[in-house]
Amino acid sequence: MPTETNAAFEIDHKFDAARKRHYLNGDCTVLHCHHYATLYTQLAMDATDFDGVRCLMETSEDVFFDVLSRYYTQKKIESIEDKIAVAQQYWQASGMGLLKFTGVGKYEVMAEMEYSHIDEGWLKKWGAADKPVNLITAGFVAACAALVNGKPPRTFEAKETKSLARGDEISAFKAIHK
Amino acid sequence: MAIDRQKIIDEMSKVKVVGNEEGLIPGFGVFVQQLPGEFWNGFARRLVNSVPEDLIGAAEGLLVNAAHECGYHTGHGIITSDEWNQVVAPMVEKVPEDILHGAFAIFTAWGWAETEVVDLVPGETMTVRANDYYESDVLLYGRATRPSAFMVRGVCAAFMDLAYGGDYDPSGKSGLYSFKCEQTKGIETGDAYGEFVVTKA
Repeated sequence: MPTETNAAFEIDHKFDAARKRHYLNGDCTVLHCHHYATLYTQLAMDATDFDGVRCLMETSEDVFFDVLSRYYTQKKIESIEDKIAVAQQYWQASGMGLLKFTGVGKYEVMAEMEYSHIDEGWLKKWGAADKPVNLITAGFVAACAALVNGKPPRTFEAKETKSLARGDEISAFKAIHK
Repeated sequence: MAIDRQKIIDEMSKVKVVGNEEGLIPGFGVFVQQLPGEFWNGFARRLVNSVPEDLIGAAEGLLVNAAHECGYHTGHGIITSDEWNQVVAPMVEKVPEDILHGAFAIFTAWGWAETEVVDLVPGETMTVRANDYYESDVLLYGRATRPSAFMVRGVCAAFMDLAYGGDYDPSGKSGLYSFKCEQTKGIETGDAYGEFVVTKA
């Protein structure tokens, strides 16, 4: 499996003093807290009539597919191992937690988290959850699964199978080819 | 006013945040993350677009509330932080008005929105002007028919809660939601700047 000896994720942070905006590797980024991320997650989960969960996961999948795709192109990241290593480091640098891909195949991609922004935030804000809550990372894993296989978004369906917020020892994600 | 807005922006925009060995960014009493503005805009746009016409206002209200609660707790973390004490606190003469102006300078420095208080009636109303904000980027997809700076709206109200809503309450049961905010102008709807008017709830 990929290790830290693979490609290193480079952080190029710039502040545009005129527009007062921050850019990470060219992408306009903003700092937000766990209250914001967990409230957005809760909002998505509550919006059952409008498929809020899918809405949040697909937003995550689409946005991070584009972010990583641009980075891979710019840095000429081509091998699966390097793509995975960069994705893990990007999620870590962004403050979203420690994501490790544990299995990468053509039809199935698996990942685990020992630490997770969403879960830590959820526990801090509301206490234990009764179901997995890390929709944003699930979308990210779906994006990574597509990228390493050279496929477009929506090729994989990702689910969180274990959840730190629910009381499991780790969070686990499985993306399956549709 | 003793607050040197430009100095605060210059200093606080240099703060570099990156996940630690656990991939987390603890700070200001919360966990922070730095994601593309497009992610937050994307979810908000998709959610609002997915509801029927008569529920759009309610959906927008929920997005505003998320920011309101975030702004209340993170705002408190900011104005009690070491960074605040080093950079902003020495400039504060008039409480809470100077704190409010300082908080908006940090709001600007961190890339949420280039915002400035243009009118303030202490304890009553506040008008904030935003010359640039990432939520206006929805303009890339065509002029919006409704203002969509839900985050700025929520945070403006939250900062008034902190200034004039009584002691900070970590539970959010008091203080929070003492004020509400309406967006009266928006870059995304064709105006030259965004305007946000905060009044008592």
